[in-house]
Amino acid sequence: MIPTLIGVVLLVFFLFKYFGGDPAAVLAGKQLTADKIAAIRAQLGLDQPVIVQLLIFVKQILTFDFGRSWSTNEVVSNMLVNRGKVSLTVMAQVWFLDAIISVLLAVIAAYLKGSLSERLITGICTAAMSISLLLYVVIGQYFLGFKWALFPVMGWSESFWVNVTRYSPLPVLLMLAVSIAPSLRLYRTFLIEELNQDYVRTARAKGAGDHRVMLVHVLRNAAIPIVTNIAMAIPGLFVGSFVIEQVFSIPGLGREVVLAVDRSDFPVIKAITVSLAMMTMLANLGVDLLYKWLDPRVQLK
Amino acid sequence: MHSIQSRAADKGWGLKMSDDVLLDVKNLQVTFRLGKQERFTALKGVSYSVPRNSVVALVGESGSGKSVSAMAIMGLLPRANTEISNDSQLIFNGVDLLKESEGELRDRCGKEISMIFQEPMSSLNPVYKVGEQIVEAICLHKPMSKLAARKRAIELLDEVGIPQPELKIDSYPHELSGGQQQRVMIAMAICCEPKLLIADEPTTALDVTIQKQIVELLMKLRQTHGMSILFITHDLELVREIADQVVVMHNGVIKELGEASAVFDHPKDPYTKALLACRPTLDSRPIRLPVVDDFLQGREGELPKGERARGVLPTDPIVLEVKGLRKSFTAKRGFFQKEEIVAVKDVSFKLARGKTVGIVGESGSGKTTLGKTLIRLHSCQGGEVLFDGKNLMALSQKEFQPYKRRLQIIFQNPYASLNPRFTIGDILLEPMRVHSILDSDKDRTEHAMALLKRVGLAESAFFKYPHEFSGGQRQRISIARCLTMKPEVMICDESVSALDVSVQAQVLNLLQELQDEYGMSYLFISHDLSVVKYISDEVLVMNRGEMVEFANSDELYHSPKHPYTQKLLAAIPGRGNH
Amino acid sequence: MSMNGTNTRSASFWIQAWKRLLADPVARICGCILAIYLVVALLSATGLIAKGWNDEVGVSYANPVFAPNEPNPEGDTSLIREDASVTDDETKAIDPLAPKYEEIAKLERTNADKVTVLQRLLPLGGDKTGRDVLAKTIKAGQISIAIGLAASFIAVFIGVVLGAFSGYFGGKVNDALEWVYNVFTSVPYILLVLAFSAVLGKGVGTVILVLGMTGWTGTYRLIRSEYIKHRDRDYVQAANAIGASHLRMMFLHILPNVSHLILIQLSQEVISFIKAEVVLSFLGFGVPVDLISWGIMISDVRSELVIGKWWQLASCATAMSVFVVAFSFFTDSLRDALDPKSSRR
Repeated sequence: MIPTLIGVVLLVFFLFKYFGGDPAAVLAGKQLTADKIAAIRAQLGLDQPVIVQLLIFVKQILTFDFGRSWSTNEVVSNMLVNRGKVSLTVMAQVWFLDAIISVLLAVIAAYLKGSLSERLITGICTAAMSISLLLYVVIGQYFLGFKWALFPVMGWSESFWVNVTRYSPLPVLLMLAVSIAPSLRLYRTFLIEELNQDYVRTARAKGAGDHRVMLVHVLRNAAIPIVTNIAMAIPGLFVGSFVIEQVFSIPGLGREVVLAVDRSDFPVIKAITVSLAMMTMLANLGVDLLYKWLDPRVQLK
Repeated sequence: MHSIQSRAADKGWGLKMSDDVLLDVKNLQVTFRLGKQERFTALKGVSYSVPRNSVVALVGESGSGKSVSAMAIMGLLPRANTEISNDSQLIFNGVDLLKESEGELRDRCGKEISMIFQEPMSSLNPVYKVGEQIVEAICLHKPMSKLAARKRAIELLDEVGIPQPELKIDSYPHELSGGQQQRVMIAMAICCEPKLLIADEPTTALDVTIQKQIVELLMKLRQTHGMSILFITHDLELVREIADQVVVMHNGVIKELGEASAVFDHPKDPYTKALLACRPTLDSRPIRLPVVDDFLQGREGELPKGERARGVLPTDPIVLEVKGLRKSFTAKRGFFQKEEIVAVKDVSFKLARGKTVGIVGESGSGKTTLGKTLIRLHSCQGGEVLFDGKNLMALSQKEFQPYKRRLQIIFQNPYASLNPRFTIGDILLEPMRVHSILDSDKDRTEHAMALLKRVGLAESAFFKYPHEFSGGQRQRISIARCLTMKPEVMICDESVSALDVSVQAQVLNLLQELQDEYGMSYLFISHDLSVVKYISDEVLVMNRGEMVEFANSDELYHSPKHPYTQKLLAAIPGRGNH
Repeated sequence: MSMNGTNTRSASFWIQAWKRLLADPVARICGCILAIYLVVALLSATGLIAKGWNDEVGVSYANPVFAPNEPNPEGDTSLIREDASVTDDETKAIDPLAPKYEEIAKLERTNADKVTVLQRLLPLGGDKTGRDVLAKTIKAGQISIAIGLAASFIAVFIGVVLGAFSGYFGGKVNDALEWVYNVFTSVPYILLVLAFSAVLGKGVGTVILVLGMTGWTGTYRLIRSEYIKHRDRDYVQAANAIGASHLRMMFLHILPNVSHLILIQLSQEVISFIKAEVVLSFLGFGVPVDLISWGIMISDVRSELVIGKWWQLASCATAMSVFVVAFSFFTDSLRDALDPKSSRR
């Protein structure tokens, strides 16, 4: 875990250090003078040896103080928290609904295993998951938002409740349209894999009916990979969907990343990358603990 | 009870039913749909009956349909692609199970008929405690509180011989040994006092000593609970010990059926005769094992008479000498600690030229690890293996390379040991290419063809892929692959264990012929004591990585010195009958 | 089993899989669709069709033939030529086309004499600058498909090589490669892509490289676990006992046994990379604006939709969706044919 974090830090650092061009030049913008560049370089610590720069970066990570954005002069760590909250508002709904709906549908699909309707479900899923999110978003926004005016076309407010009730439903709906199909297919294979296990035969031999076999025996075992999969999605909730936030003008982290990359705002990109990596690692740790709780066979090292 | 009987009278009207028949299987015909057009008839009209309070054994090789008939009784066959013929009847206690609704069948399963399976580990649900699983079985059929059911579960665990049942009831299946898992399965099966217990190869996955205990337990429970057992197995010697009646099946057809003593002592059907004869026994060692074809073609009289003499004299030349071999694995514990797990410790023996050393032991005894370590498929952590005056363990990888062709191995699983994407030709040519045996691929092909013929396969096999061959044929291909290198020592790692009895005899005969012909030495690793007795000149017994006893095979089987060897030999089914 | 003496090589795994694939009607239909796309893409790549995708051939928002009567005020005014505009220094500093001013001026001079008759109707309509949507869609398809294919070859190649080494050797090699894998996967994928493209700049080559270099992780995991599984199989042990070298065992023995998975993976990655390209281009980090791809088309059409010009979206969305959906179904059929035991059904 720690080595991975070190790896991410090194990756980000050297990626921007050696391929990212001269940040001073980016910062100075149009008014490019030698003096100014030198001043900015000194201010950013770029005149220091590489190892010192790396240490500065590490210190920033440890203190969660990434300095200020080059383009907006905002404090980066505040930005992370504020934008992250916005992304989370949308994504938490997507995450929650996706988990419930896809597990439910997967169980139904597993019941129908081998039948024509099951083939139909998987076929629709395959088609639905193949089409690009972009098309859902563009077409959905046009019809549901613009043409039929069922939802606001775009926007965001300061109030959490207004956001949840007014601005987020359409993005959430569109994201679900994309995310349910792959989850459903995945969970269905988990369930069917379990259905083929020997203990299912034992349960039937005991006299357990179809529902008992599915809900008590199979689902409990399939829950291990399903819950893992759901938990692993948590870090992504903070960054949100780049496309959705861009199209619906939702001021979340995803849109911030796009803006930052567009403006070569490296402190922001570095901060987001590293903190998400940390989040991913925490999620991994959480999943390990979850595993221990879900699967009695697993012993923590 | 009354309603069942009156219904029995309804449905059983006109049928010849005797009161002491519990289950009557009549003309059972089962077909599986494999594809759009493909059909496979697993049972071609099978009829037998199970009397009350008796043990009926269904015996047969793989593909005989013996398990299918049990699954049909339990309604466990996959509904979507199974067709059971309309003429078939499964009369249990006067009721035709095939005409019952899904719900009625489910009520009956686990209550009046229950079943245990071959793999106890995978047959138990891994995420529930064994207690919960037994309680579930009880509560499905009896109106009982969870607490009362739990009390009953503890009693059951005690009855099936689980030590400390109050403690073990809260274990998960993986925390129990294989034998204990099967005991839990049995406890679950008998919890509602069934009239019929179907045991589908219940001991095949277990070690011989555990097998003995489980069989004894089942026989005891049969007595105390007054139930019948339908015992499905491939092991004839086991059947001889326990069964009242025997049903011999082959390719979905019943070959012979009757009282156990009659079937064993005076088999009528040639197939039954062959099955009984081709399995090596402890008390005789024919020059060549009879095979099924000998009987089916009426050639059993033409078998060479006489016994093969086994044993090694001190003057026999030694080809391989193992001194104090040790193999251990390191497992990580925590962040920095490492634990050493010793798989083989301090094993020493000598292998004489043209002779066979049998290595026997139960699972986890380290016998397979020993074999693989000898030819450096595993590294070793001490000891010497002397071959041709060199310590093989001390050679560098490069120095060892030429020795690889002189020491070869045949694995257990004939389905896994041949590369599925290679033709048999590729498989046979590869070792010759690697070791530059013969000058051109043309010569190599000729040689490979000759070897295919030698191991009893057609030359056309050269162009085929492994999946087109049966298990026995694949083992022949593995043998041919080794022969391309003319090895001096061949390690047979459970090489016949996965094969059916009739095929086993053929492969054993082939191995023996090749030894006589080429003077190879074999290291024959197996858990099957009868087979080892048949093929080996000397036998090495292993237990938990340690060498327990090493002696000439006749001597070892006749008068075992070590208590473990004695225990092992006593557990062989059918030993008491000789 | 027939043992007759015909000395013909019997059907290999691939021939059998091919037969299974052909027996599947879904695979046949989808295969035909994909073949048509590939042929069109090849024709476009060689310049035989859609060469003039960037030419102004119609009036602004020329109507498609299937909707000739939609009102088109923009098209009517677009026939009036604008005067040359004067650009000030400040615009020059920020205009990405600034370096090309002279080139543009030269083109303007050479083309000044030519009179192009602008069409009011185009097969699938025209866009704002009067370009033919059909030609655009074809050209965009060619580029998107090329990016998807090239990126997936790179990604799968990296994944297979690293996965094979990690799975086969285990130990320290595995530890090191697992570390790299963890680093790459602990950063959300799209963020990684953006980070890479932020430093590598823009261009078709960059998109391919970025997608390939970040998209290998799934293949790596799959191949690694397969190698771990196969490494201990008896047939590999037997090869080892025979004296085969490590590379021989890795690539001669094990690789053919996982090659069908590689093929499935390859076709899966093509789909996901085409979708990734669309998103990247849409966000402005993919294909540069002077080229065209399905992603760029979609980002273009958002402003058109508001004024009711739906045909560019319709044609590019249809073209893209048909391709990707057909490819997905084909991949599923491919998996069924190559890996019949897998539990998709």
